[in-house]
Amino acid sequence: MNTGCNKRPFDAGRATYLTLNGLLLAFLLAPIAIVLVFALNPTPYISFPPVGVSLRWFEKFFRSPEFMNALFLSLWVAGCVLVLSIVIGGACALALARGNLPGRSFLTAFFMSPLMLPAILTGLALFQSYLLAGIGRPVWGLILAHTLVAVPYVIRTTLAVLHNFDRRIEEAAAVLGASPTRVFFEVTLPLIRPGVFAGGVFAFIVSFDQFPVSLFLVVPKGETLPVVLFNYMKFDLDGAIAAASMVSILLALSVVLVLERLIGLKAYVKL
Amino acid sequence: MAVASRPSPIAWLLAPALLLFVLFFVLPFGVMAMMSFYSGNPVTNPNAFPTTRHYERFIFDTAGIFHDALWATLRIGFITTVVSLLIGYPLAHWMARMQSRLGHALVLMAVIAPMLTGIVVRTFAWMTILQDRGVINTLLMEWGVIGKPLPLMYNEFGTVVALVHIYVPFMVLTLTGVIGRIDERLEQAARSLGAGRLRAFVEVTLPLSLPGILAGSLLVFALSISAYVTPSLMGGTDVLTLPMLIAQQVGTSFNPNFAGALGVVLLLVSLLIVVAYNRILARLSGEQGLA
Repeated sequence: MNTGCNKRPFDAGRATYLTLNGLLLAFLLAPIAIVLVFALNPTPYISFPPVGVSLRWFEKFFRSPEFMNALFLSLWVAGCVLVLSIVIGGACALALARGNLPGRSFLTAFFMSPLMLPAILTGLALFQSYLLAGIGRPVWGLILAHTLVAVPYVIRTTLAVLHNFDRRIEEAAAVLGASPTRVFFEVTLPLIRPGVFAGGVFAFIVSFDQFPVSLFLVVPKGETLPVVLFNYMKFDLDGAIAAASMVSILLALSVVLVLERLIGLKAYVKL
Repeated sequence: MAVASRPSPIAWLLAPALLLFVLFFVLPFGVMAMMSFYSGNPVTNPNAFPTTRHYERFIFDTAGIFHDALWATLRIGFITTVVSLLIGYPLAHWMARMQSRLGHALVLMAVIAPMLTGIVVRTFAWMTILQDRGVINTLLMEWGVIGKPLPLMYNEFGTVVALVHIYVPFMVLTLTGVIGRIDERLEQAARSLGAGRLRAFVEVTLPLSLPGILAGSLLVFALSISAYVTPSLMGGTDVLTLPMLIAQQVGTSFNPNFAGALGVVLLLVSLLIVVAYNRILARLSGEQGLA
């Protein structure tokens, strides 16, 4: 039956199906491509069609102290979130998978819940708590808030890896005389490393692109890049935003490639 | 079996996460709920007293905007969900049934790449496409199809378009998992018994993927009713949603107590959805365990 496939005459149903899906893919990807066009287009406002290629918007972006301060703050926060969420999330996933905990599925759902509850409410609740505690809006408060919404990603990718590898490998090491500590450091940890790192990379992006959680937790002059871009976009829509967008898109694309290399995208896609 | 045994020492690794979640998640939401029942900040203001007036203000809605905002939030969430399903299903089906590994990886990347691009950036992309001088209006006017720009942005339409783009990957990923688990031979059996391809799909695959449709829809609905960036940039003055109202109360009116009450309302709606979503997922993984 399969050999006949190529000889079959034009298959209208199949063609429609493929065309439709091609269009849907274009819908997903076109906006990203268009941002690149506007980032390189030199006209003073966003206009179509583009008239040329220039790097003036990238120059404006990288020369503006406002954008640069925000970029560095975002990178700093995302870096801290990366480290914190790897440690906290990786440990948590191990405990969930190997700790023989009662109520495991409830706990897993609980640790995933920051992804399901409105992020803007997480921001609001933390804002009110910091207000009540009278601590102002410190950067560490922002970092921990981001960590809270990034940890679930690390837990998810780590659990996916833990779920996939054979527990008997650990048991074999134990049978061969390795102490539990040695099994942990020499077998379990190396095995889950790709999952933890993939989650960490994802945590970095989640923090770097984070808006709703940051909205109420940043101070004037100490805003992260997405907040600065948002405020800028309310009044001005020029190529500088496109250039800034390109910078974060390139960052995201490199992350996708890193993820694919580390564990394959499939593992972390499990929702 | 080790299932019923006591927690192992590894369980202690849960402690840091638990501490983080209690201090920065459970407690703050408690604080938010408490603040919504106070007239002011009970720590700094000795005159702050317990009250239900914030909820009364929302329920009686003398200003006539809060109910509209709640309704607009749910309506936008609903339309976004339906459109995401219509767009997401074909893509998910294609991905789940794709034979080529390379093709699968490429489509998966195309679906995930937008997810990894920030919400602010993606909303900006749609502003450049839909505004009066944007890509679509410029092209249509150049081709002489329209005389003046179509109102594609600063309204609900633009908001929904951008929201669909932002949340459709979640739908696709949820559905792909479920459709991929449906045995393809069931559909083949239907076809060998004489059903056409469409009929085999409608009567076999579609009903079997219903849990995925439900889970994906709940996820997209929960995400889109809490969206703030997109409605406030794409909606202009036409759109006012609950998250926008909350941000207004914090930012311009500086009334965190009323913002808390609005937050509790949004939280209750979301919790309802989350519980339903988890139920469906639990049932799904149960089925997977049997297979």
